[in-house]
Parts: sequence; structure tokens; C-alpha cells
Amino acid sequence: MGLFESSEKFEEMLGGFFRQVSDTPNVADKLLASNLIIRFTYSDPDIVIVIDCSGDKIDVRPGDTETKAEVDMSMSAEIAHKFWFGKVNLMAALTRRQMVAKGPIPKILKLLPAIKPAYTMYPKYLEENGYSEYNIY
Amino acid sequence: MGGYAGKILYIDLTSGTIETKPLDLEFAREYIGGLGFGAKIYLDLIKDRPGFDSLSADNPFILMTGPLTGIRMNAVARWTVCSKSPLTGLWGECNIGGFFGAELKFAGYDGIVIIGKADKPTYIYIDNDTVEIRDAQKYWGTDVYTVNDEIIADHKEKSRKSGQVLTIGPAGENLVRFASIINNKGHAAGRTGMGAVWGAKKLKAIFVRGTGRLKVACPERLDSLRTELKGLYDGNITIEGLRFFGTASHMDIGIISGDIPIKNWHQTDWELFEEIAPIAYGEKILTGKRTCYACGVACKREAEVREGPFKFDKGPGPEYETIATFGTMCLNSSMESIGKANDICNRYGMDTITCGSTIAFAIECFENGMITEEDTDGLKLSWGNSEAIVAMAEKIGKKEGFGSILSEGSTRAAEQIGGNASDFLTTVKGLEAPMHDPRSAHGYGLAYAVSPRGACHNASLNFPIESGGMYLPEIPELADEINGMSSTGKAKLNSACQDFGMFFSSCAIFCNLGAMILNATQAVDMVNHVTGFDYTIKEVMRLGRRIWYLKRGLSNLFGARAEHDRLPERLLTPMETGPTQESVPDIDLMLKEFYELRGFNDDGVPKKEILENLGLSDLAELLYKGQ
Repeated sequence: MGLFESSEKFEEMLGGFFRQVSDTPNVADKLLASNLIIRFTYSDPDIVIVIDCSGDKIDVRPGDTETKAEVDMSMSAEIAHKFWFGKVNLMAALTRRQMVAKGPIPKILKLLPAIKPAYTMYPKYLEENGYSEYNIY
Repeated sequence: MGGYAGKILYIDLTSGTIETKPLDLEFAREYIGGLGFGAKIYLDLIKDRPGFDSLSADNPFILMTGPLTGIRMNAVARWTVCSKSPLTGLWGECNIGGFFGAELKFAGYDGIVIIGKADKPTYIYIDNDTVEIRDAQKYWGTDVYTVNDEIIADHKEKSRKSGQVLTIGPAGENLVRFASIINNKGHAAGRTGMGAVWGAKKLKAIFVRGTGRLKVACPERLDSLRTELKGLYDGNITIEGLRFFGTASHMDIGIISGDIPIKNWHQTDWELFEEIAPIAYGEKILTGKRTCYACGVACKREAEVREGPFKFDKGPGPEYETIATFGTMCLNSSMESIGKANDICNRYGMDTITCGSTIAFAIECFENGMITEEDTDGLKLSWGNSEAIVAMAEKIGKKEGFGSILSEGSTRAAEQIGGNASDFLTTVKGLEAPMHDPRSAHGYGLAYAVSPRGACHNASLNFPIESGGMYLPEIPELADEINGMSSTGKAKLNSACQDFGMFFSSCAIFCNLGAMILNATQAVDMVNHVTGFDYTIKEVMRLGRRIWYLKRGLSNLFGARAEHDRLPERLLTPMETGPTQESVPDIDLMLKEFYELRGFNDDGVPKKEILENLGLSDLAELLYKGQ
């Protein structure tokens, strides 16, 4: 049993966060500029979320296993949760394969500065949306 | 014997004698190569007269390759130099990439030992078996790029390889204490002022041309390993990051973890950061990629600024450390000016880490009214003043005006400036800290504190291991998850990183970047396949440990004691916000554990019996003379 009691709960929580990030102009502009379709595959609990930056607006689609993604990111739900708190050593997670990134690496690396503002948004999002029990900040 | 060229050159610049000695196989097995050879030979040369000035004829200079240098594999083109440092007065060393090491081995030599001092500007000419000391009057005074091109042109022979040049620039001639030695314009032996050692010896350059081939003891096994590693390299995110962005790729990762020092280590974030981040680098100054001998990673950059105040011709581009020292450290958001400062450091032959850090230190003095425009020759040395930063870099290279004071390094400059200037220092043992913040990974703090050459992220494998880029599961001390912002267990981690690190990046010699994705087994296997030795991980750790103590002992011999194993206050001041908020290394705890683990006495000197057990009785005798 992982940190989250159900896949629905985790999907609702993370999906909501991704939507909030997508509605944040300084982050969204950079993500849209990447034109990427990214699939996040999480384990324990198992969920899939696609972030589609190929259109005029970012589309967050939980459960989408059909769309062909250019970038595939896999990790456990716990690692993902800690990552958004800035509590995961990204280099170590990639080296030790706690996070697996597949796709055009330069494009993936270009996303790093784009998502940087999201780290400070995550704890606030949890507090304001009824997920304060998960706040480990 | 595979891998080794089989001979070492001994050159006495005072007498003009040149001697070639065969490489002893037993010695090679025990000391592996690189700094293992260098430190041992250095000790043997100075043990009867250890008290001398680093800029005197008595200071030997040793250049050594490793068994892998010149082998056609990724990330093994490196070689080393060592001597007593003019900047710190302690053990000095550098680990360099490029092409010189490979060419030297093709000429038939594993290394060069240089003693004495020439009475006029001199260069060493090596063309396979022909070795001569030649007059360098015509090259003296010229910058690194010019002398590199001129020497190559002067020795051009039809249908023959053009050869490689290793040279100092005007900074080395002017005895700038952090002068570097540079191969092929951009591959620098940067740290600890080895260029000033050459300048004092009136040695301008070494030209080498080699047409021989290196033997590999077990070629089929090496081929098989090459195939295995190809699968590892292809698509690896670390390697692809280096290929695409160069070492600057660390900017985007380091800013997340709070690793990048900003405003002379006052901040971990900055609103103008993206102006000098990898994407901006690519858009503003990047023109191409460069590499070291036979390395497919190709992490080196080429840059150019075509117009404006920071115009410079196409040449080697700034590395991560340079972008941080001349950029974030000085709150300088002009990528073009960072490229220009890098160009100046390359042409004059200066270490960009010490140069940029020393300028950041001077800016803080200026901003606090401790120096004024009257002191700085009219330059307004304020945060973010790109023009003044670039102008000061050039003044340092020329040793002109206030640049002359800064050319001594920040520790000596603080003494000259006086007041509380030393509060702004970020040095350990007189060496300016590299651009990785121990508040983001406490083990870096211990690594900087106890490194024989002063604050250094490459003195062991602590940085690649604790940053997470390297993973060596076969070594129990390095297999566990690492919590960067904790000081617990970091003494043990550092010791293991020193032991394996001596083998890996000081002796073998692997590149800490391009070979970061190897595990310990693959690294040891590569050395075994090339040399024909049958090292085990345990054995290379034991040999590495001895070499680490040897280097530590040399610094002790030159006066380093426990009081020098300290971090500057600036690096121990907690950040109020950001990723490293309230995180401070517990340096006292780590040092206490480290001293116990390494068997140091209270003075910071390895105990006599420890040295004797490691087979370093001669060093023990010197350190405990009369006791």
C-alpha cells in the first residue's frame, strides 16, 4: 500500500494540480512552446495522465492510454508526489531508474525550467484543495 | 603490458639534460597512472628538501597520463598535472581532457617530469624519439590561441600529423597565481595555478607529435565491453544532456536543488537566471560542439559573439563553472559577456573558477564601500556590471592596476583590502570553492574541507555520487539512498568516494562527466582489458586509498593542518528561502567522524602507523621527523 489509498484519489489530486499548472500563464506558455504530448505513467496506485501541449491550450487527460505520446515518463506515485515538493534528487532518481524518461531527451530537458515555478505551487494547491493531509512541506 | 606507452621523460630545465626512463611494471600496477604516478614521483623528488617556494626552480612539475589515455573509448582522454601550488602553497593538481595526453602516449611517453628552471623562455619539442629544449623567445608574450597556432604552423611537416600544443598565456608568464596551462585553446589545467609554475620555470609550451600506437592487452574483451557500453550511452538522459547542452546542462538541474551559488553565495535563485541558462546559451552565443580525443559524448561547446562590446571570435565556449562564476556569482545576466570573459581567461591562460569568484568577491567589497572606483582604476565594480567584470578579467591577466591585487587570488586580495573583506571569502585552503553549494548536499562541504588541494568538487567522486549522477551499487558505502541535506554518514561516503575516486578519475583516468554512467565493475574491467592486470574493486579501492593519503600527506608536508580543514562562514550561512532553506552542513560532526575514520591526529595529519600500514613509510618519516 503506497502513500495514496486509491488510484481515483491520486488521479483527482494530481490531475487537478496539472490543470492548475496549465492555467498558469508563465508555465503554460513554455509548455505549449514545446509542442509535446507527454504521458505520465504512475505505479502504486497505477494511473496514467496525458498532458497534451500540441494545441492552442494545454489539455490534461487522466486515463488516456490511446494517444501516441512523444515523451513517456514513468515513476511511482510516491516519487511523483515528492518530486513536486522539490524533495526528489532528480539526477539520482533518473540514475537509479526511480524515474524513467523516454523520448527526445533535449526536449525533455528543455521542460525543466518551464516547470520550475510549479514547485512552489504544489504545497499551496494541496492546502487549498482539501489535500492538506498529503502536505509534507 | 597494454595501455601504457612504457617510458617517462625526465627534463631538467636548469642543466638542459633530457633522460628517458622505462616505466616499471610493478610501479605501474601499484600506482595505476595519472596522479598516482605523479604524487609518488613528486614525493621521491622532494623528500630530501621539502621546504621550497612554489615559484622556485626547486618545485618539480609532473605531467602524467593514465593507462586509458589514448584508448579509443568514450570519456578516457584525460591526463593530469601536479606540483606545489602557487595559489595555496599546498599540493596542487589538475585533471585535463583534450588531445595532448593521447598524443604524448602516441609519441611513446606516459608522462613528463620537469625539474629546474630555464634561464630564458623555453619550449619543449617532442616528435616521437626526438626531444629537445628549444628557445621560445618568439612565443613569449603571446596569448594561448596565437601561440597554439604559431607553434603548430612552425612545426608543420608535409604529410605528417600537426601535433598538439600545451601552453601558458601571458597570465602564466606574469605569475598570476591561478594561471592555467591550456591544450588546443580550450582544454585547461585550470585550478591551483600550474601555469604560474611554468611561468616561473620560463617554460612557455610543450609541442608533441606522436605516430605510434598503443597496445591493448585484451582487445576482444575491450570490444565486448565497448558494445555493452554503447547500449548504456545511447539514449541515456545524462549523456544526452551533456551532448545537447554541454556541462551547462547542470544549470537547469542545479537551480532546482539550490546547488548554484548566486551573488557570491548569498542566493539560490535569481529572477534573471534564464538569461544565462542553457537555452539562452544556445540562442545567444553557441556556434558548435567540440570534443576530447575519441570521445563521442562531445560535451565541449564552441561560441562566438560577432558584434558589440563583448565581441570575440569563434572559439571554445564557457563551461558550467564559468557561466556560474562570471554569471550568477556576479549577478551578470549578459551571456555575451560571460563568453567574452571565458575568451579572455583562455587567451591569457587563467582559471575561470578562481578568476570569476575573485571578481565576485571584489564586487562585494566594492558594494560594501571597502574599495572604490579610485582603487579599481575607475571601474564601477558593482553587481551585474558586465563591462566592468570583463574589463577586470583582462586587468588580472595583464596584472595591471587593481587586477594585480586580484591576480593573487581572493585570499591574498582580502589581506590587502583589509577590514572585514575576509568575511566575503569562499575559499578552503586558499582555493576558491567550485560552483556547487554544500548547503544542497552536505557531503560536498566535507569534500571541500578535507581535499588536499583545497575546495574542489573533483578531488574525489563525492560530487558525482552525492549529486546523484553516478551510482556504484557494488561499493556498499555508496549503494544506499543519499539524503543530500543531511550530514549523517557523509564521512563514510566521502572516504569511499576518495578511495574509488583516486582510481577512477585521478589514476585510470576516467572523465567524471562522460564516464559518470559507468558502474564500478565496468570501470575496473576497462582498465583490466586495456592493461592486462587483474584488479578487483577491492584492490583499486586499497590502491586509491594509499594515493589519497599520499596527496593528503604532501599537503601536510607543505603546512596544511586541521585549522585549514574548515569551510568559510559564507558556505555555512543558512538560506532563508528556497530549496536549501535552513540547510547547513554540520561540518564539526562530519570532520570528527572523518578524522576518526581516516586515522588523523588532532593536527589533521594521518597517524604514523596508518601511513606505514599503507606502505608510505617514507612519507611518515618526513611528517614525524624527530618524533
